[in-house]
Amino acid sequence: MSDSTTTAVHFPAILASSVHDMKNSLSNLRALISQLESRYPDNKPPEFKLLEFESNRLNNSLMQLLTLYKIEASQFNVSIDEYSVRDILDEIVAQQSSLLALSKIELVAECNDDLYCFCDSTMISNAISTLVNNAQRYCRSKILLSAKQEEDYVVFYIEDDGAGYPQHFLADTQKYYGIDLATGNTGLGLFFVATIAKMHRNGDKLGFIKTDNDSHLGGARFSLYLP
Amino acid sequence: MLNLSPQKILIVEDQAVMRETLKHILYGMNAKQIIEAENGNNAIAAMIKTRFDIVLCDYNLGAGKNGQQVLEEARHLKLLPFSALFLLVTSEQNPAMVLSAVGNKPDDYLIKPFNGQQLLNRLERCFIRKSALADVESELDKGNLYQAITNCETLLAQHDKKIRMQLLKIRAELALKISDFKTAKAVYLDVLLERDLPWARLGLAIVAYSEGDYFDAIESLHELTEQFPMLLEAYDWLAKAYEATKNVDGAISAITQAIELSPHTILRQQQLALLADSVNSLDLANKAYKAAIKLGRNSVHKSSSDFSGLAKNLLKTKANSTVLNLVSELLEQFPDDPEARLRAAALETEIYRTLGKNELAQKSYEKTVKLNKQFGSEASRELRLEIAQTCFQRGNTEIFDQIMQELIKTNIDDKKFLESITRICTEMMNENYAESLIHRVKQELVDINNRGVSLFKEGKIKEALAVFEQAISNLPNNQTIVLNISKIMVHDLKTSGGDSEKIQKAQAYINKAIQLGIPHDKIGGLQAELARITHHQHHSR
Repeated sequence: MSDSTTTAVHFPAILASSVHDMKNSLSNLRALISQLESRYPDNKPPEFKLLEFESNRLNNSLMQLLTLYKIEASQFNVSIDEYSVRDILDEIVAQQSSLLALSKIELVAECNDDLYCFCDSTMISNAISTLVNNAQRYCRSKILLSAKQEEDYVVFYIEDDGAGYPQHFLADTQKYYGIDLATGNTGLGLFFVATIAKMHRNGDKLGFIKTDNDSHLGGARFSLYLP
Repeated sequence: MLNLSPQKILIVEDQAVMRETLKHILYGMNAKQIIEAENGNNAIAAMIKTRFDIVLCDYNLGAGKNGQQVLEEARHLKLLPFSALFLLVTSEQNPAMVLSAVGNKPDDYLIKPFNGQQLLNRLERCFIRKSALADVESELDKGNLYQAITNCETLLAQHDKKIRMQLLKIRAELALKISDFKTAKAVYLDVLLERDLPWARLGLAIVAYSEGDYFDAIESLHELTEQFPMLLEAYDWLAKAYEATKNVDGAISAITQAIELSPHTILRQQQLALLADSVNSLDLANKAYKAAIKLGRNSVHKSSSDFSGLAKNLLKTKANSTVLNLVSELLEQFPDDPEARLRAAALETEIYRTLGKNELAQKSYEKTVKLNKQFGSEASRELRLEIAQTCFQRGNTEIFDQIMQELIKTNIDDKKFLESITRICTEMMNENYAESLIHRVKQELVDINNRGVSLFKEGKIKEALAVFEQAISNLPNNQTIVLNISKIMVHDLKTSGGDSEKIQKAQAYINKAIQLGIPHDKIGGLQAELARITHHQHHSR
């Protein structure tokens, strides 16, 4: 009996250290990939971009697991500062657009240059990247990233031109978190984004997320509200 | 767009594959001058040879120094001009918190993985910020705090949102540095009115601590660490505040928490060791000394006192001759350091004495005396105190007297240190010894000041300056003398003018005064006058 207790107590810690190890392994893997890539100065096989895309996705998921573990263990807090929203969106476009171009998807960022936002920019960039990755799976050819001030919140929108969220999902986002094992959607991404949103607070206002089908492009729209 | 071709770039990364990748990216962005280093030592060697504009340094560099330690050493050796960018590369998602070392932050963190475009964006953004803050940072680099403040105010008035928060933070920190607590508090409160930011709350707690409101500081720091467990600096200040209230256990628990969250900070381990030693927590001190010694192998903060601390700790628990190994280890780790040699000799004396090997103890003691004669005056005050005690134990009251007098003279304004001197002297002989010494030095100070001030009043500026300059070589850290000489120099400049050398000298004295902790309300006016004189001189040319 004592054995099973020990296992139960240690499992989260073991999970976390394993995830950490996987991240290191992944970063070696990426390095090897880019070494291979450098052997093709011209006519790079398109598989490299796919490798980059998949390893980015894997890295994002591992990072999210690790962050969520640290939040549980009180080893994490958001580090809030004032950032230019334009800079945050540019960062995401820099990270994603060449990968998306591969699947012939266009990523457009629109926002006012003098929009500023109090947030943990690393976490918010990761959250939005995850959402862009999600949108990429359901869109046809275009993803629109935008942000604006809405009363006491800065809202980031991720919109696509796909079929939109299914009705049962919109009815109860909290419950589903998009879990759909058939498409490989584990719900981790949404859970992560919602958790990070909630860790942003200003006075008694908390950050939150919203999903609807009011996309300017006709598909799904995800909104991330930060106070 | 940023042009990388004139920039000298250093890549510090232990993995060859990653170095190749980075080089590939940078060459792709038109970089022309890239140097690589595969470990911390090579990085430092490269920086000694070349002044780089950009350093991309991985945090994890394998067995030797880590990236943070490379940064600390580079700053310590002044290998990074203020205009250079140092980016720490890490896969840590929350690097500013996890890797933070007190007062030594990189310009930015780059979180792996990143692609070329992301790297370029980041470099561009850093350079923009750097050049926006250049007027402040260049003055800070030269130690001109007041000019830095003036420039900071000018920039703040331009309302550039991109750097506004950073400027406010710098402004408040500068106010703290010149002991202008009122302004620091006002800036922090202003920021907090807009947003509940942890650094501003930490700042308020620092103000409370600096003004002596230790219990207020402790309360708000506790709140802060509960809400932001990764704000490591808050634990450091909490420990300081506890120490100020003589609650050593509180201080130990605060430092321990910070160490648990980030175990690799040598300064915290050293502090913990001293705290634990002071309350005779031998096990805890032992562990902390060992950790400090281990971390010290790769750190500029390594200290020979960690070895003697550990050795003395071991002498208390299991005295045997293996403790002598620490002496040779000490000498090995600090090959060209006279202070370390002196410390080793004193330590050896102590070890032999404890082990009852009197002949050997005497020999080591003679070596100590000899080294003390050669290097003693340059040693740290803690070591000097130790040597004075050793000499006293051996019956050499002459050296004891000499060291004590010098220590009192050079630390006459440091109440805490004088207290510990008095305590030691009382233990060894009688109460009156230290007190009469301190009294004598204070009387000497009063005499010098009276003489200097009356010469000044008689209009004998040159003679007054000579009196104070003479006094400074004898009593270098006395606030009153430094303040008086600053006053006379500024007055002299105002009435009879002077060249830029004279102005620089006056500025150096004012900077020294600030460094000694003379508060803003006493030195601010003088600095403003000097600034007017300088300004006037510039314009009349």
